[in-house]
Amino acid sequence: MIAPPRTPAFLYTTPVMPAEREVQAAPMQSQVNWALLGLVIERPSYAYELARRFERTYEGVLALSSVSHVYTALAVLRERELIEELPGTRVGRQPKPHYQATANGLADYGQWLVGQVDEDLRRQRLFVLALARFIRDPHAALEILAGYEQACLTEAQNTPVPGHDGACAASAPELAERLAAEESRLAIGAKLTWVEYVRRELNALIEAQGARA
Amino acid sequence: MSLLELDAVTKRYRDDQLDRIVLRDVSLQLDGGELAVVWGVRGCGRSTLLRVAAGIEAPDAGAVRFDGRDLASHGDGVLGSGIGYCQRLSQGSAETAQEVVMLPLLAAGVALTGARSRAHDALERVGLAACAALRLSALTTGEAARLSLARVLVHDPRLVVVDDPIQGVDLLERDGILALLRSLADDGLTVLASATESTALSGADRTLTLSAGELRGPPPHGLAPVVALRSAGARRAGA
Repeated sequence: MIAPPRTPAFLYTTPVMPAEREVQAAPMQSQVNWALLGLVIERPSYAYELARRFERTYEGVLALSSVSHVYTALAVLRERELIEELPGTRVGRQPKPHYQATANGLADYGQWLVGQVDEDLRRQRLFVLALARFIRDPHAALEILAGYEQACLTEAQNTPVPGHDGACAASAPELAERLAAEESRLAIGAKLTWVEYVRRELNALIEAQGARA
Repeated sequence: MSLLELDAVTKRYRDDQLDRIVLRDVSLQLDGGELAVVWGVRGCGRSTLLRVAAGIEAPDAGAVRFDGRDLASHGDGVLGSGIGYCQRLSQGSAETAQEVVMLPLLAAGVALTGARSRAHDALERVGLAACAALRLSALTTGEAARLSLARVLVHDPRLVVVDDPIQGVDLLERDGILALLRSLADDGLTVLASATESTALSGADRTLTLSAGELRGPPPHGLAPVVALRSAGARRAGA
């Protein structure tokens, strides 16, 4: 019997939907909003600090248009009840309200993460479909494939060896760096093997076309 | 001048039933302190490429130069001095790690004390000083891979050629070996390695693939001029 796919642990706990949570809103598209939610989940924090952490964490991957972008994003997250203000933090002459994730925030974030797999597959599928348009000109496809292969090699070259000695990660950034590096290294392997396969298919096609001509 | 240069190398294997081109017009230049890793699927010719680069096998066409001199004119001395070819060790052997590193030195006439001292240094360099007295059978696959490097490093080579250094190595030991190769290059040695696992490409100065005997990779110095596909197709049609 085929075992059903495993459900990530965070999906077992379905959050209670409060009555006031309006009819399901359209999915949140902003990558910045999701990334910010991740930071709040990691550690409750206030807007300015979140902006600083955002820059440090997602440098080179995602960018804020300005610090005020964080305020806009936080407002959206609150509106969707994905975060809430931490009681007792809006005090003093310069209040710094801290935000924490709600149960809904945690659950939605988990689902968004899992959804990234579909997004990756969709992008890869699109590339394959686009490449397959060259069926009448496999030579051109081979040239494109060579460029794709070189891009993979360059990415591999730029991915450092994590260089740890078996000890567990000491911080969230270190863990993220290790996980990202390993994911990238393994994904490149799959892509290079796929390139090898496509190259053989295209060469067979060229041979068949030559025989027909 | 490059330390290692493969110039339009072709290698073929043929007998009564087989005539197969394993390396096809392969060119590669490696400088001192460079770490290059060649990835390819099994049977693509990676090991042949490495043996040719190390001077163990002669090419059928083209030339392999080490430090500007054609390996074909070097004779047998090359592997003992400038080039170290790293082979997997048989873990069934009853020798200790120290003996594995020392024996080639003793065979070459190095005195026992000197051989022991150099073996210790080499084992320390690869992180195996604590395993010197262990028999090969007691070593993990990763430790055995490190030991094979130590056996080569003890000769102070300038070029280290390693065939699939992380093949079969445990996940947790794998990156340590790659970091070791990186550190050797950082110390000025040139390292040419092959790999069936793409993880070995991480952090290399040069990453290449070998497919159907053809070596491919990003150009070493800047990008090649961009050629429009249309004109490339026209050239093929005219060829």
